[in-house]
Amino acid sequence: MRILIGLIAGTLSGATPILLAALGGAFTYYAGMFNIAMEGMLLVGAFCAVLGAYFFQSWMAGVLCAVLGASAMAALFILFAVVLKTDEFVTGIALNLFAVGATTYLLRQIFDVKGSLADPRLQAIPAVTIPLLHDVPVLGPILSGQNLMIYVAALATAASAYLIFRTRFGLRLRAAGYNAASLDSSGVPAARVRAWALLICGGLCGLGGAFLSLGYVRLFAENMSAGRGWISLAAIILVNGHPGGLALIALLFGFSDGLGLLLQSADVPAQFTGMVPYLATLLALYVYAARRARARAARLDGPG
Amino acid sequence: MPRSLWTGLAGILVALLIGAGVMLAQGYNPAATYAALFEFSLADADSLATTLKNAIPLILTGLSASVAFASGPVNLGQPGQLVMGALFATVGGLYLPLPAPLLIPALLLLAMLGGALWAGVAALLRRAFNMSEFIVTLMLNSIADLFTFWAITGPFADPGAFSPMTPAIQPSGWLPEWGGFSSGLLVLALAAAAIGFVFQRWTAGYEWRLTGQNALFARLGGCNIDRNFVTVMLVTGALAGLAGGLVVMAGPHRFLKGLGANYAWDGVMIAVVANNGLPGTVLYGLFFSALQTGALGMELITAVPSEFIQVLQAIIVLVVVASRGRISAWLDAWTARRQARARPLAPAPD
Repeated sequence: MRILIGLIAGTLSGATPILLAALGGAFTYYAGMFNIAMEGMLLVGAFCAVLGAYFFQSWMAGVLCAVLGASAMAALFILFAVVLKTDEFVTGIALNLFAVGATTYLLRQIFDVKGSLADPRLQAIPAVTIPLLHDVPVLGPILSGQNLMIYVAALATAASAYLIFRTRFGLRLRAAGYNAASLDSSGVPAARVRAWALLICGGLCGLGGAFLSLGYVRLFAENMSAGRGWISLAAIILVNGHPGGLALIALLFGFSDGLGLLLQSADVPAQFTGMVPYLATLLALYVYAARRARARAARLDGPG
Repeated sequence: MPRSLWTGLAGILVALLIGAGVMLAQGYNPAATYAALFEFSLADADSLATTLKNAIPLILTGLSASVAFASGPVNLGQPGQLVMGALFATVGGLYLPLPAPLLIPALLLLAMLGGALWAGVAALLRRAFNMSEFIVTLMLNSIADLFTFWAITGPFADPGAFSPMTPAIQPSGWLPEWGGFSSGLLVLALAAAAIGFVFQRWTAGYEWRLTGQNALFARLGGCNIDRNFVTVMLVTGALAGLAGGLVVMAGPHRFLKGLGANYAWDGVMIAVVANNGLPGTVLYGLFFSALQTGALGMELITAVPSEFIQVLQAIIVLVVVASRGRISAWLDAWTARRQARARPLAPAPD
């Protein structure tokens, strides 16, 4: 039973950064942008979280710094892709490289360390016990007592779905994705909507990055995002950006992460268990492509 | 050609100015820093040789990315293809009992095979199941990283070493140095010439470029775009794998943990900033190699951490790419104004 709870906890914590980044990417996806800078925003968020937590000795300052840092990255993306109309793919790649370089450089400059920074004065984001849910018989230990950011991610999923599908802003967001010229001619600049989408993406990736470095571990390591931004991109493509679907996919990847850890205790070498999330992504991509092929074949065949 | 050279140079200049600004804000001396960069990368034969040697994997992965992007497939798998090529070459170098004239070409072929195989996985998944090679190559990068790490700590580990690495490959597999310059440069020149020839002057390359610009047009024109897709993936994978093999054979002569860590993503960056043009890729590859080689020396003289170079590189990429459109438009306006002034005025109507 404890193994199951551990597995679920591992699933939730593995899913959270991917889900937060994917939600951020969903906003830009709906706005019609090809945003691949989530990887860099996650990394910058993780670094700034450690920065804030180190200098202000508080995890709240860390989270705030993470959101600000990742939003600054988003602002750079806005400057180059929206204002200067640089190709979005190129901007994303360049910003990801910039994030790696800047965090490595600042790690060296500010903390005088290479590789990773761990420090006792870094506060971790706390776990939260919810009084009523805690006493639920079987699900109690799962529903309550998880890290704060996990609950934030769950709330963010609901909030994103509401924002995208039930508000005027969301309508304009999706309009920018369907037909930006129409939106422009209706009086709302698509560029402004896209800028907002990018800032929201930055904020969410900042939260995800803060969870990476201050969630269960309390350190920053070079290149800490380790491909999670790419996995969140895959998730967005797989479910066409729908927040509920993103939550499911993120849980799947989190599960594969946790499964990897479980397999380690079964004497499978750590490197192979580490591959599980990426293999899971490939598997999900296969299922997605197979389903699309079947749907297209059915459409072409017609009824009967 | 000259136009892109001007915009590139202008972009680099602006980026260097921005870098100088960042350095000033931190209290460093930009002039001394740039001077140290130059001194340690290009000023004498020794540093020039190092710069050229470091440029080999950068240029090869850059060519790999350039050819792929210009032909259609989004091959972002150079990091994985590089390490797989390096692994194949290392294993061959450990176990093939051949003399140097045979072993070196064999290892180079093995490296290309490793890279091509890894890219082939992505190509296969695309052809068989229509899985986007964008995501697949990215996932394969991480898988290749983990796989090679297992390989150098498991079956091919050096028992006497205190950090993860393989034993050194046989000396007959080491690329010799000629007058201080690595013979890998010869391999690089041959590979670059070969891919340049195929891309610009061979029917296959023509079809690739056509497909890259408009796949539908190419297909309707009779190109077998599916087969070309696979070919491009295999060829670009082979280039990246070759880079990995050369890193091992010309460098540490063994597979170390973290081998070629940055080279492959830098290759993508170089392709991006060169706008997928092959000569531009070679030039930018040399330029970024000079920056990276000079960085270590720069740190000795001006105490600017060598990691700053990564930031400077990213700034250069962003500025060059962003300004490409702007500067081009500005140059267009300038030439139009010049031509308008040179034209004789129309006679006044009577």
